[in-house]
Amino acid sequence: MKRLSVGSGLVVALLAAVVLGVRFGSVPLSTHDVISVLLGGGDATQRTIVLSIRMPRTLLGVFVGGGLALAGATFQALLRNPLAEPYILGISGGASVGAVLVIALGLAGTSSALLPLAAFCGALLAIVLVFRVATSTGRSMDVRVLLLAGVVVAAFFSACIAFILSMSRARTVQSAVLWIMGSLAGAEWRNVVVVATYTVPAAAVLMGLARPLNLMAVGEETAHYLGTDVERVKRIALGIAALITAAGVAVAGVIGFVGLVVPHAVRLVVGSDHRTLLPFSFLAGAAFLTLADVLARMALAPTEVPIGVITAFVGVPIFLVLLRRSLGTAT
Amino acid sequence: MKRRPAPRPLSSLLVALTLAGTASCSDKPQTAKPGGAEARRIEVVDADSTKVDLTVPVHRVVSLVPSATQTLDALGARSLLVGRTDFDTATWSADIPSVGGGLHPSVETIVSLHPDLVILFGGRQDPQTPTRLDELGIPHIAIRPDRIADVKRSVEILGRVTGHLERADSLVSSMDRELAAVRTEVTGLPHPRVAYVLGGQPPWVAGPGTYIDELIGIAGGINVFADLDRLYAPVSPEQLVARRPDVVLLPPGATFDRTLVPGARVETVNGDLERPGPDVAEQARGLARLIHGSEHS
Repeated sequence: MKRLSVGSGLVVALLAAVVLGVRFGSVPLSTHDVISVLLGGGDATQRTIVLSIRMPRTLLGVFVGGGLALAGATFQALLRNPLAEPYILGISGGASVGAVLVIALGLAGTSSALLPLAAFCGALLAIVLVFRVATSTGRSMDVRVLLLAGVVVAAFFSACIAFILSMSRARTVQSAVLWIMGSLAGAEWRNVVVVATYTVPAAAVLMGLARPLNLMAVGEETAHYLGTDVERVKRIALGIAALITAAGVAVAGVIGFVGLVVPHAVRLVVGSDHRTLLPFSFLAGAAFLTLADVLARMALAPTEVPIGVITAFVGVPIFLVLLRRSLGTAT
Repeated sequence: MKRRPAPRPLSSLLVALTLAGTASCSDKPQTAKPGGAEARRIEVVDADSTKVDLTVPVHRVVSLVPSATQTLDALGARSLLVGRTDFDTATWSADIPSVGGGLHPSVETIVSLHPDLVILFGGRQDPQTPTRLDELGIPHIAIRPDRIADVKRSVEILGRVTGHLERADSLVSSMDRELAAVRTEVTGLPHPRVAYVLGGQPPWVAGPGTYIDELIGIAGGINVFADLDRLYAPVSPEQLVARRPDVVLLPPGATFDRTLVPGARVETVNGDLERPGPDVAEQARGLARLIHGSEHS
């Protein structure tokens, strides 16, 4: 039972990642300190660090990482493109324009909710634009048009960002670029609740669509002949994957690599049946991003390393090993 | 953003040739423009340790460094400024044409202003502009506006090239005197623990070797991030909790999660705190008032 062992391995990895995420940070606390805080003790500083910083941050890593991997797997199936990833429809570009605009206008400091809200609105704008373009050609949604629309919209948004940044002061440019690089450091309980309320039901719906996604990954025509309501599945699944991505990018910025490579890695290990691929991608993405965040905090403490750097530095070698192994078994 | 119309290519070429001509034959002494001192050649070592031969006093200055623009003002040399950047916000310079940003400015606009000196940012962050000015024969010097010592150095250099040497000397000594006065005022007061947070997630803070760090020290505070290995760095939010600052200073518009520092005073500072200029002593005094709060009057 390869699936069972891989699945339980992923669950254990995720639990371990959560424990490490709460246990370790840039301020050295002992295991005893952390446990006593969890049991209701500890001094005020320790309580703030464990309960208001590390716990929300760890859970945010779980939901954002899992959500990005899940969205990536869905996009790869529906767009039938191995390069598809959660940001492919210009969602990250839209979110970045929203965030950069708020930073450039100097409004970011007025409320901690404003930046994520603006980023989310930008992401929604991108989604609406891309879907309108893709459905404007006829009654059915053409995924090739969708891809092209995504590329064009993304290009337009990067031009907007370049324009805003070229008009801004050095400090604005710096904070904008840092936001774009992505980080889980902004985790507050409120963000975690918002992202979880998006991600959990959305993940359930996507996993419920696993069987039609299997057929769609082969081809839309095949799926249609086998009785799938192709248009409906496509719209629901794409829309939900886009919303998960929008929620994640709004609270954590643009974290690359997780949504592209985690689904591929899982596919290399357990095959491309979406009934296992989707839940396993969620578990793997969640564990991977949470662990990457622990490294981001610890590697150069007290300084933080951008989490996208860690996801790429750790993820690329793992992925190459998996790729080599799968090619080895194929021949 | 408003930009002046660009000069026609032909006229800028002519300007370039003319300037190249004047640069090559300016070895012999020239008569200064009315009201100025006798023109002579001097050698200036600028902030990038480059030796620059200049005919001084200069008459038409384009300043790409806002702090140098302020210094020109403090030296009483406003009238020499013929070009500024978009980041010079003082009212007196509002009518002077802008050449864009301090890095990668519009070289065309600079040429159209016929400067006999361009003041650039030191540190070679924009190697393109000095190279192009060299090709065009426009003299330039680099000024570093990073720390208090840099400001004094800039005052001296700009005093020499504008012919306001005495004014520069008195400016430097009054800066020293005022800074010493601020230090004296805060002796005997407690030393609050201060964090300067630029904003962002993770929060960026000012470490040792920054102008802010210097000012905090003069104002009698302790920078809680004095152990960083970089000037500015993003730190884990829990570092702000663990280091327990008494005062958190934020530039205007910065994002900051105040729940990290429940016991601390969070103060927004004047945006000029990251821009050292000839008014360092005033800034140090303002900062001292801010970090000592009501204890210091």
